Amino acid sequence: MDTPKKIKVLYIDDEQNNLNGFKATFRFDYTVLIAANVTQAYAHLNSHPDISVILCDQRMPEKTGVQFFEEMRDSFPEPVRMLITGYTDIESVIDAVNRGHIFRYIKKPWTDADIRSAIEEANKFYLTNTMLVAKNKELQSAYDELGKFAYSVTHDVRGPLLSILGALDLAKNMEDPAELRDILEMMEDAIHKLDEYIKNTHEYYKLKRGLLQFEVIDFNNVVKDIAALFRIAGRMDNIKFISNVVQNDEFLSDEISIKMILNNLLSNAFNYQRKDAAEKYVSVEIVVADNVATIKVKDNGIGIHESHINNIFTMFYRATSEETGSGLGLYNVKDALAKLSGEIEVASVVNEGTTFNVMIPGKANGTN
Amino acid sequence: MVQTKLNFIVVDDSKLDCFIAEKIIKNTGISESIKSFLHAPEALEYIKSLPGDDSIRTIMLVDIQMPVMNGFEFVEAFEKLPDEITRNYTIYIISSSINENDLSRVHNYATVKQFLNKPLTSNNLAVLLA
Repeated sequence: MDTPKKIKVLYIDDEQNNLNGFKATFRFDYTVLIAANVTQAYAHLNSHPDISVILCDQRMPEKTGVQFFEEMRDSFPEPVRMLITGYTDIESVIDAVNRGHIFRYIKKPWTDADIRSAIEEANKFYLTNTMLVAKNKELQSAYDELGKFAYSVTHDVRGPLLSILGALDLAKNMEDPAELRDILEMMEDAIHKLDEYIKNTHEYYKLKRGLLQFEVIDFNNVVKDIAALFRIAGRMDNIKFISNVVQNDEFLSDEISIKMILNNLLSNAFNYQRKDAAEKYVSVEIVVADNVATIKVKDNGIGIHESHINNIFTMFYRATSEETGSGLGLYNVKDALAKLSGEIEVASVVNEGTTFNVMIPGKANGTN
Repeated sequence: MVQTKLNFIVVDDSKLDCFIAEKIIKNTGISESIKSFLHAPEALEYIKSLPGDDSIRTIMLVDIQMPVMNGFEFVEAFEKLPDEITRNYTIYIISSSINENDLSRVHNYATVKQFLNKPLTSNNLAVLLA
């Protein structure tokens, strides 16, 4: 059974008796680390990044508790600091609180109840602070993405719309039916591009907000489903499609994510072909072994130049002006793989082709 | 009065926008030649390959957001070319962007005359050629 994690407390005092007494009293309720000097205290702080509360005696031979707190708080800002001292002089306590960012002051001799309530309070403060830091980080990354979205909307949404407007204006005065047909086809392409952007945005939000739903994945069926969609859409015309799936074991994963990953990789492989190439092909190989799915998607298309290869998973980055692209596809792939603890590698040669290797660990059976 | 003929170069990653620009330019009847490029580096190569010709001006319409080399990068590379080439060109940045940074950045380039909003229409092309 999972017990709630014990609060980790570090107590520093130069008197061994105090340390022993403290540990004996509180070891059942808290994880207690003790240090007889500053060196030992630093050793604990370095090897236990999850210490949430530090209690330190004020009067120690090398340096005072306040001096220690002042010096350590830059390197270890998270733990909540509390000073223990028999020194009841109010001036020095005020000074200590002001200078050392000390959360609370505990008077010697302490009672168990004093310490217990101080630790509980300090831990609440610690949890709130660390949660705030994590939330701020999340917020910052959400803001950054929002900024990128706002900028891309003007190009990726407004761009095709303005193209269509311009084409409409032109078409009004066109007499030649053949010319009119050409421009209608180009308008259609612009609308498809816009639609693709919207679908990718939807995918992005589904991925971001949605929880993973683990189910048994049959890769043969997944590949069959996706291939059928590409075939119906005419994307496979003049391109040879080779698929090979080896799966003998049950594999648990999130089907929406898996399909999205394969769909994006295959879509890129079909899209970025060399127009003049004689034998265009796209191949997908999937092997499931030892509860790991290895997916290889390969094409002999235009390839990716080495100066762009490190950026292809960046949001809204587009390495090519060929074909339609939203700059969201591979970003979504990477995001989904991060959620599944998977990995992706890419190898590419310009005008020879691109190979993506994906590794996805399956969810272990019987766990939640 | 006979208007002087002009060369035109369009640099835009959208095929449709290139097509629109070409049509509109052709309709003006003052174009000696029109070339459009979907990839900025190819436009740059083309310009480099031409000898400087002081007898005719070239109007260049350049989009901002293009993959691989964007409009600003293109203009920066263009401005590094020898003066006998660059002095015969007038650049207009044409974009769907409504981003203030993009708009104000246009003023940083000596070879860029003006920012134009997409879509290009025969009216606003007529205004800038007048």
